[in-house]
Amino acid sequence: MAWYIGRRILQAIPVLLGSTLLIYAMVFAMPGDPIVALFGEKPVSEAVRSQIEQQYNLDKPFFVQWLLFLGNAAQGDLGMSFSGRPVSELLAETIPVTFKLALMALVIEAVLGIIAGFYAGLKRGGIFDSTMLVTSLLVIAVPIFVFGFVMQLTFGVKLGWAPVTVGGDASWDRLIIPAFVLGLVSFAYVLRLTRTSVVENLTADHVRTARAKGLTDGQVNRRHVLRNSLIPVVTYLGADLGTLMAGAIVTEGIFNIPGLGNLAFRAIQQKEGPTIVSVVTVMVLIYVVMSLIVDLLYAWLDPRIRYA
Amino acid sequence: MRTRRTALAGIAIAAAASLMLGACSSGGDDDGGSDSTDAVITAYGTEPQNPLITTNTNEVGGGNIIDLIYAGLVSYKADGSQELEVAESIESEDNKVWTIKLKDWQFTDGTPVTAQSFVDAWNYGAAEENAQLQSYFYYPIEGTDDEGVILDKGTEMSGLKVIDEKTFEVTLKNPEALFPLRLGYSAYFPLPEVAFEDMEAFGKAPIGNGPYKLEKWENNVEAVMVPNPDYKGNRPAKNGGVTFKFYTNPDSAYSDVQAGNLDILDQAPPSALATFKDDDSVQAFESPGTVNGTITIPESLKHFSGEEGKLRRQAISRAIDREEITEKIFEGTRSPSTDFSSPLMPEYREDIPGSEVLEFDADEAKRLWAEADEIQPFTGKFVVAYNGDGPGNKEWVEALTNQLKNNLGIQAEPKAYATFAELRTKVTDRTIGTAFRTGWQPDYPSVYNYLGPIFGTGAGSNDGDYSNKEFDKLLQQALSAEGDEQADLLAKAQEILFEDLPAIPLWNTNVAAVAAKGVENVEFNWQNKPEYQNITK
Repeated sequence: MAWYIGRRILQAIPVLLGSTLLIYAMVFAMPGDPIVALFGEKPVSEAVRSQIEQQYNLDKPFFVQWLLFLGNAAQGDLGMSFSGRPVSELLAETIPVTFKLALMALVIEAVLGIIAGFYAGLKRGGIFDSTMLVTSLLVIAVPIFVFGFVMQLTFGVKLGWAPVTVGGDASWDRLIIPAFVLGLVSFAYVLRLTRTSVVENLTADHVRTARAKGLTDGQVNRRHVLRNSLIPVVTYLGADLGTLMAGAIVTEGIFNIPGLGNLAFRAIQQKEGPTIVSVVTVMVLIYVVMSLIVDLLYAWLDPRIRYA
Repeated sequence: MRTRRTALAGIAIAAAASLMLGACSSGGDDDGGSDSTDAVITAYGTEPQNPLITTNTNEVGGGNIIDLIYAGLVSYKADGSQELEVAESIESEDNKVWTIKLKDWQFTDGTPVTAQSFVDAWNYGAAEENAQLQSYFYYPIEGTDDEGVILDKGTEMSGLKVIDEKTFEVTLKNPEALFPLRLGYSAYFPLPEVAFEDMEAFGKAPIGNGPYKLEKWENNVEAVMVPNPDYKGNRPAKNGGVTFKFYTNPDSAYSDVQAGNLDILDQAPPSALATFKDDDSVQAFESPGTVNGTITIPESLKHFSGEEGKLRRQAISRAIDREEITEKIFEGTRSPSTDFSSPLMPEYREDIPGSEVLEFDADEAKRLWAEADEIQPFTGKFVVAYNGDGPGNKEWVEALTNQLKNNLGIQAEPKAYATFAELRTKVTDRTIGTAFRTGWQPDYPSVYNYLGPIFGTGAGSNDGDYSNKEFDKLLQQALSAEGDEQADLLAKAQEILFEDLPAIPLWNTNVAAVAAKGVENVEFNWQNKPEYQNITK
């Protein structure tokens, strides 16, 4: 087991190197000169310009910029933003907020999606099942910002039940509506996955055996149907945490949440290389770690899988 | 193992349920505003892009904060006229050498504001090694180059001299009667001694001498300012403080104003422009503004130089129905230009001879274009470049090129650049090869500021490389004139521009702002900003 985990972590290193190189190349290829943008429509002195270029290593070829970034990053220095603050500090401020938001969205979508999917699957073809299928289709089809604005207007502005925007106080209760919006699309997928899986498992051999043993319906459904139906759902949820964190950019914009998405958005606008690359690196790390956790969870859910 | 799993699910459901309940119970705990004069005003802001240093903050997010926590030699009233603030007197015999005497002021750390505080700050801002974004503003002072950077990698401008603790002398490159008017701008604010010990740390927690003190700057969240009890200038705080809440999206700020969670949003988002005036849940404000929009046609563009170019520029200007675009696309939130500046400027004149070129007249446009065609027939197409990241740019450039197509019968089309940075790069390295959108926000309240830096020969923001000796001469004379005489000279200079049209004035952006219900004393100044210190609720 330990050996397996170690190997997986080693595998993550080339993934990280490759992705940072790719992002650096893309930032470098972005059109426009960030320094000209800094000065707005005022003229820039050549001397001042080369000063700033040197300060942010912008005068070097991108491969050298990347190597410098890697070298510094290995020592814990992720570079500076144009506002003169260490990128590591910016990440430390924003990651917890977005992580909290994504985690809440994950819990909401998992709990609601699995429960609804489970019952829809058990009562296949019934009213509840049909309603859920239509609802999930609607949720998948309509862009997320539409739900965001509608919920903001309804619960925030009109009813006053929830804060309109989150701002600095990103506490659990203030994040509930944004998290719901963020998790909405995935909720639809979880629901559909669970439902299909449950329908399949209902006719599986081991379920029939369990029933033949004389277990009650409730016991069979919980222990044998649900548990086995969760394997594809867990895979999806694991990968989804990364997607949620990366996808939070829209939700964070609507509800003004000072998270990773907002940071990335601002950095891309200003073409702030080190910040963009650091944010993306964090995302890649989350994907790597989550897929490892998912693989380990398999062994627990399905006794046939063992890692040695 | 099984029991644990069931328990886990139970906990998860319970947690989710409690979160829902929490959301319901916490609703409406934001204060609706008590009617006292010490109420803290919350205002829309954006995260400062640079450290909060007076010489390095050139964008609006940081600029709003800097303007409230510092006081300069002069301050501006809402209408753009100036009053002495930290300065006791600003005098000059020849408009070239200025002697500035200071009042007895203190920074909020208790240290005195001295002549050295000003001289050191300006030198810091202009020194090449510090690469400050505001260096451009020092270009009038002797010892700097055209971009305001100190010559020969020096660290002190030769034009600045400290006489005694409360007096200093500024020598300009050229006589300039308007010089004191510049001094209310943030690049000319003083910095306390402690700043120079560690500018990096200072930029995170600046110490000023203005009506407010910065109490807290929480990155990406808010900047909290409390009144400075020792402030004795012209802009005393009439509220209990101002907090800028940072947004990345003005739409969500608008929703906050609607719900009463944000007191003032100085820029209604594009999505609300059509409706904000009729929105019952907010107070709407609309008034003329100072930012203008123009299209610059470079001298070097084929068919646009000499006599032919003059005719074509006039034809284009007359083929544009500004009224239609400002009404249909901007919902009346911009007003058609009547000159190269703004009606808010003190020297503004109505009906300058030649300004009729800004009025829509399709027949006259066709006639002028045909006249130009006689000199040399027009070939190719007329392209207007814009940056796609500016809201609404695409819509108006498309409408404008359509009008040119219909009214002149020529090929005209928009060209989009993804970002402002990309457009500006092409403009500054002169490789753009088309007409392009430009705009100007004045640095100080004077028509001169709309002319000199943009159309003067070789001037810093002369993106179209316009050059006219007579125009330069009139500007030079205007610089050393005063009062009505100066306004006359500036109007004469504009007459030349109406003839040559190095850029085609389109419109001025109106102030379109909203405040929450119950917010009072909202007044907008010549910079299109609310006078934050006067707002109460």
